[in-house]
Amino acid sequence: MTKLLITEITRMGPAFCVIGLQRENQKMQSVRPIPCSAHSWTYFPHRRGDILECALTPFPGTFPHVEDRVVTKGFRKCAVVREAEVARYLRKAECSESLRGLFECSICENKQGSGAYALPAEARRSISGCQTQNLRLELCGNELRATLVLSSGEVLRDLPVVDRDWLDFVDAALAANRGANRAARLARFLNSQFHCKIMSCAHHFVRIGLTRPYREVCWLMLDTLFPLPKADWLEEF
Amino acid sequence: MALRQTFSAKEKDSFRRIIETCFRQEVGLSAPLPDEMADLIQMGILDSMAWVSFLRAVETASGISDLASGLNERPASLASVLAALRESSKGPLAANDPQKGLNKYLGTVPVFLAASSSARGSRVVPSEEVDRAFGMPVGKLRKRAGIESLAYASEEENELTLGTKAADDALRTAVCGPQELDWVIATSETHHDYPALAAQLHSRLLARENCGALDVGGGCLGLLNALAVAQSLIASGGARTVAVVTADVHSRTLTPERVAGEFGGLFGDGASAFLLRREENALGGFGYQLGEFLFGCAGQYAAAIRVAGKKGGGLEVQFEGEALSRAAITRMEKVIAAVEARSGIARQAVGGFATHQPNPRLLTLLAKQCGVSPETFPPICSTAGNLGSSMCGAALHAALQNAANVEARQRKPIFLVSLGPGLLFGGTWLTPG
Repeated sequence: MTKLLITEITRMGPAFCVIGLQRENQKMQSVRPIPCSAHSWTYFPHRRGDILECALTPFPGTFPHVEDRVVTKGFRKCAVVREAEVARYLRKAECSESLRGLFECSICENKQGSGAYALPAEARRSISGCQTQNLRLELCGNELRATLVLSSGEVLRDLPVVDRDWLDFVDAALAANRGANRAARLARFLNSQFHCKIMSCAHHFVRIGLTRPYREVCWLMLDTLFPLPKADWLEEF
Repeated sequence: MALRQTFSAKEKDSFRRIIETCFRQEVGLSAPLPDEMADLIQMGILDSMAWVSFLRAVETASGISDLASGLNERPASLASVLAALRESSKGPLAANDPQKGLNKYLGTVPVFLAASSSARGSRVVPSEEVDRAFGMPVGKLRKRAGIESLAYASEEENELTLGTKAADDALRTAVCGPQELDWVIATSETHHDYPALAAQLHSRLLARENCGALDVGGGCLGLLNALAVAQSLIASGGARTVAVVTADVHSRTLTPERVAGEFGGLFGDGASAFLLRREENALGGFGYQLGEFLFGCAGQYAAAIRVAGKKGGGLEVQFEGEALSRAAITRMEKVIAAVEARSGIARQAVGGFATHQPNPRLLTLLAKQCGVSPETFPPICSTAGNLGSSMCGAALHAALQNAANVEARQRKPIFLVSLGPGLLFGGTWLTPG
């Protein structure tokens, strides 16, 4: 049985994509547990920081999703790790300070509009952590987008945010029972308190992932943003 | 000055045109335009990535930078975008967008290029000689970059002499005495002395004491920055006549001792000058009106080129040639598309593309990517090298000269597009007056 520290739970349409950390000798390695017949889970009741026991079998996945492993038995929760600890472990896994280092390939910009992508044949992995000098979230035509600057000074704009916890937070912020001007209030929060909370947090960390190849490219997305949102932040706006 | 409080019929049409252009960029030219009220995401016409991408393209093309946030809690439809565009343009200065606000304000005061000129370093050096000097295989600059020769300043030449020469020529062409100048605006990526270049030019040209002197930065984007400032000064009533001067002498900064390899070898020395005026008079054979400017900074390419001073006088150069080439082509094509959408001038109707010219090979590639004739790009870099902030100026002067050679009513618009480290980008257009 393998012990996986769950680090990513992302919303991909109606399903969830999950990534965990597996310790191999002294190295932390990202592993994406997938069901035998799909790339994502329609039901995933666990949380980030849970340590789950499961049986994994190597999967002949194609680049760049080399982290894929098929789950043959699982999941059994055996422990929980605090958020700050999860971020500490993530720093020991795949990380990069530069754009090129994220997936060990060049990153291209969308020629027509926004977004950035990697070519499947060039990218060597599909998930990477990074330290950011600054980060901003924005609600853009009802879609949550992140713009961030890496340690190298390079900027990534308009990354779709797929982090389940942050999307749940935004859904809760925009819930009809929260009164009027919900989007404007959320935008104000994202432009003010949010920034302080995120950038001053000692375990601030992000993980960037690649989508499955779509029209021959893999788009970059923000898989994880630490710290995770707190329910009581909703009271602040 | 009366500011517009409502949108005109022309503006309405331009919004529709921008939406249609950007939508087709996203889904393809042959795709039918959906019903205006249709929710593009729910109908599966665009996914969420494409929707945001479309909105960003509309923002760039319209100059309304906060459009997407105005669409929250609205359906993802073309009608919503059109309504948001109209709402954004209703304010007196389109308050949530400084560029659009400025452009709306400026749109009421035509600013003309009354004259132009350019100068090159007088020493013509074959590229093979430069290959050898920078320790490259002989023939590399010619074969890989398409550079035949480079224009280097002679011992007597520097940024001041080249800039003065170009400015004098422009003043003469416009029959404008230096005492008529209200501002001298200079830009250079190689002049770092004090007094600054604008101050030195001011003295050398013998401008009035109460004529302002201003230096602006931006590297190779410097000319566009300077033109935008000049346009603003004139439109605001702060000036009637402004000289914009660029001057770059790379051959003394990027020397083989300080910079090894291809990077240093790409650059030449030159200058350009433009005279801007509020009214279309004393045009000296042509008079092109400046359009709106669009600017930005694509920070994802920031690491592709970096130059910093080292202790002891050396230069720390980070230059990822291939990455920078790809970025330059992609970004200039994007800016051309945005200028096309905002101006309503199809690229096929453009008489000249005065763009930054990193090297001839990339220029050919850019023309091909944009689907326009390479003949519309005045060839400067093949014989002079990359002239830095003077590159666009030299190309614009050449494009204006070409236009001056044809009958006034047959003159076509000119697109001006450039890049700078950062990656800064900017664009505008000029229309025959």
